[in-house]
Amino acid sequence: MTEIKSNSENIIEVNDLVKIYKQGNVKAVDKIFFNVKKGEIFALLGPNGAGKTTIISVLATLLFLTEGKAIVNGYDVAKYPDKVRKSIGVVFQEPSLDGELTGRENLEFHTILYSMAKKIRTERIEEVLELVDLKDKQKTYTKNYSGGMKRRLEIARGLLHYPNVLFLDEPTLGLDPQTRRKIWEKIKELNKEQQITILLTTHYMEEADELADRICIIDHGKIIALDTAESLKSKLAKDVLAVELENVSNFNELKIKIEQLENIEQVKVVSESDQSQDMVEIIQNRLKKMGGPMANVSPEMIRQKMRKGMAEAMKDPVKFVKNLGKMPGSFEMFKYIPYESKKGIADNIEDNVLELLPEEIKAELIQIKKGVIPSKLSQDNILKINIACESGAKSITQVVQLINEMGIDIKSINMRSPTLEDVFLFYTGAKIRDEDSNRVKGIKEFIKMRKLRK
Amino acid sequence: MSISKSGKLNFHWAAIWVIAKRELLQFWRSKTRVISSIAQGFMLLIIFTFGFSSFRFDVGGTEIPTQAFIATGMITLAILFGGIFGGLSLIRDKLFGFLKEMLVSPIKRSEIMIGKTLGVGLQSVIGGIIIMLISISIGSFPLELFLIIRVILVIPVFLILSIGLVGIGLVIASKMSDFQGFGLVQTFLIMPMMWLSGAIFPWSSVPVPMQVIMAINPVFYGVEAVRFILTGVANIPIYVSLLVISVFSAILIYLGGRSFTKIEAS
Repeated sequence: MTEIKSNSENIIEVNDLVKIYKQGNVKAVDKIFFNVKKGEIFALLGPNGAGKTTIISVLATLLFLTEGKAIVNGYDVAKYPDKVRKSIGVVFQEPSLDGELTGRENLEFHTILYSMAKKIRTERIEEVLELVDLKDKQKTYTKNYSGGMKRRLEIARGLLHYPNVLFLDEPTLGLDPQTRRKIWEKIKELNKEQQITILLTTHYMEEADELADRICIIDHGKIIALDTAESLKSKLAKDVLAVELENVSNFNELKIKIEQLENIEQVKVVSESDQSQDMVEIIQNRLKKMGGPMANVSPEMIRQKMRKGMAEAMKDPVKFVKNLGKMPGSFEMFKYIPYESKKGIADNIEDNVLELLPEEIKAELIQIKKGVIPSKLSQDNILKINIACESGAKSITQVVQLINEMGIDIKSINMRSPTLEDVFLFYTGAKIRDEDSNRVKGIKEFIKMRKLRK
Repeated sequence: MSISKSGKLNFHWAAIWVIAKRELLQFWRSKTRVISSIAQGFMLLIIFTFGFSSFRFDVGGTEIPTQAFIATGMITLAILFGGIFGGLSLIRDKLFGFLKEMLVSPIKRSEIMIGKTLGVGLQSVIGGIIIMLISISIGSFPLELFLIIRVILVIPVFLILSIGLVGIGLVIASKMSDFQGFGLVQTFLIMPMMWLSGAIFPWSSVPVPMQVIMAINPVFYGVEAVRFILTGVANIPIYVSLLVISVFSAILIYLGGRSFTKIEAS
């Protein structure tokens, strides 16, 4: 009955996996293929919405795949979901504990679902509680746990039934640096001492860099690169020049100028360093601060709401704008829209629609329309760029010369080794001009469509 | 769900029970829910009993005391509310992510559904029993030795009825991703089921078209069965009422099991 493993070294085999969400006809995963070796820590790295969680959900048999094949622990996920489930542990991105049960009760529930023998149960529960340092909190309701404690308990729960593979979906999302470190230590410990294969998803570069034996970079549901962190970095470049540009006024123009730096021999890529925070996290933190019923909304819900919001905006912008003021965190969201997009909105928005906006957003848009750069930028109108090159020492003079010729002031230059972030930005197409022209084009398209419908 | 060679249902009963137990534990731990469910039933019972005290209630050609008529109705409604709202609590499990913990475990989807149904069902049976005890204590039924037998006999009816009603809640909840559709369910399902159940006014005194509409409401048969067992009179023969609610519950167990196998969770 059981599928014979084609290669006993691989514990997970994914072949041309496709997942299309019927709702909205979205292709979340597009012909992905990779193998995970036994005993390995394997990371799926990619921005939000890249399809990482979808892949994990398919492998954990929570979603049905549309096309392709996936084998976990020797079993086809489509044919033997029950057998796959028995051999895996899953720690979801959003908490999945029952807050009305104590830590220990949550674990007991799990042991019964996995039909563990009564004798082993108590012993094993003690063991995993010890492992994640939650023994003294086992009798507390999990709704009173901190974020880090919840995460640790969930990891403990994932381990209870001796899984061969542990799936960790964004294991440290929204945790503070110390807690993150602690969880990293635990993950490494588990992998080393208990020989558990770990497949994790993350959008934190440091996390992938720190933990993973191999990293699979994913964007828009496709694999972009797959290798060890070291070789991903060395393939990109030997050195990176991190340049801070001062007194920047016209970002668009500047970015096109800067792209010329790539013409310098031995310079491989020029990219804008990513300073934007994760919007979902920002909103979540804000909601938490506000308290009340919205305080515990899951990131998935926020993402859903945002998607819904975008769909609404396309349908009826006036109504969307009206509602913007009522939506918690809307102003925060607006703040993090890139300047170019704001400019696009400001240039095309009609006055009657503008009137409906919350005061703060309205004021900012009017300023932008007048050509004033928003205060946040004018205070520190600095653009940080990264230049990946074969030899920093050799290229630096040419880079400085060219930037000077463009009439741009340099605040500082640093030379460093490439990080995973550079690799990521390179592969996910954060090449300056491409991204921005797409962004502006997108807005123009949207406004054109709107006018057509009228 | 599979059937072994010996013909025995091969369920993982320990897992089913732990899921059911969780429901009961949650109900017990949130004291506000326990108190509000008792208070609601108590208020309705008192208000309707005194409000309708001068009305005459005719059931199957026999006149029965107002307090007995209202009490049997309110007991059944307690099961209606407890069942459907309890079933809808699956949305909470979805939102708080706990459903995923169950879905990713090796137990079968049908087993999760049965555990959930059993737990919520028992919870609403307990709700019904509480209202029944309150109504007995305020003298809704004549105190006689035979009442003890009636009370014992009616509890299985509570269970059968509530399983079907929980099933409705679960099937709806399995298709909803948040509480937005909650109002719709309340307005277009629970309210009609309540008003058209014969719990508050007698079936025999309404116009024929309405009688027909009431006759397609499963809760109507629940009210009929409960009323017959507790007071001895009904419009519909007891075996018909029992058959209808049993078939109703069987269908919803089937539908519930099917909707659970289709749940996807990312």
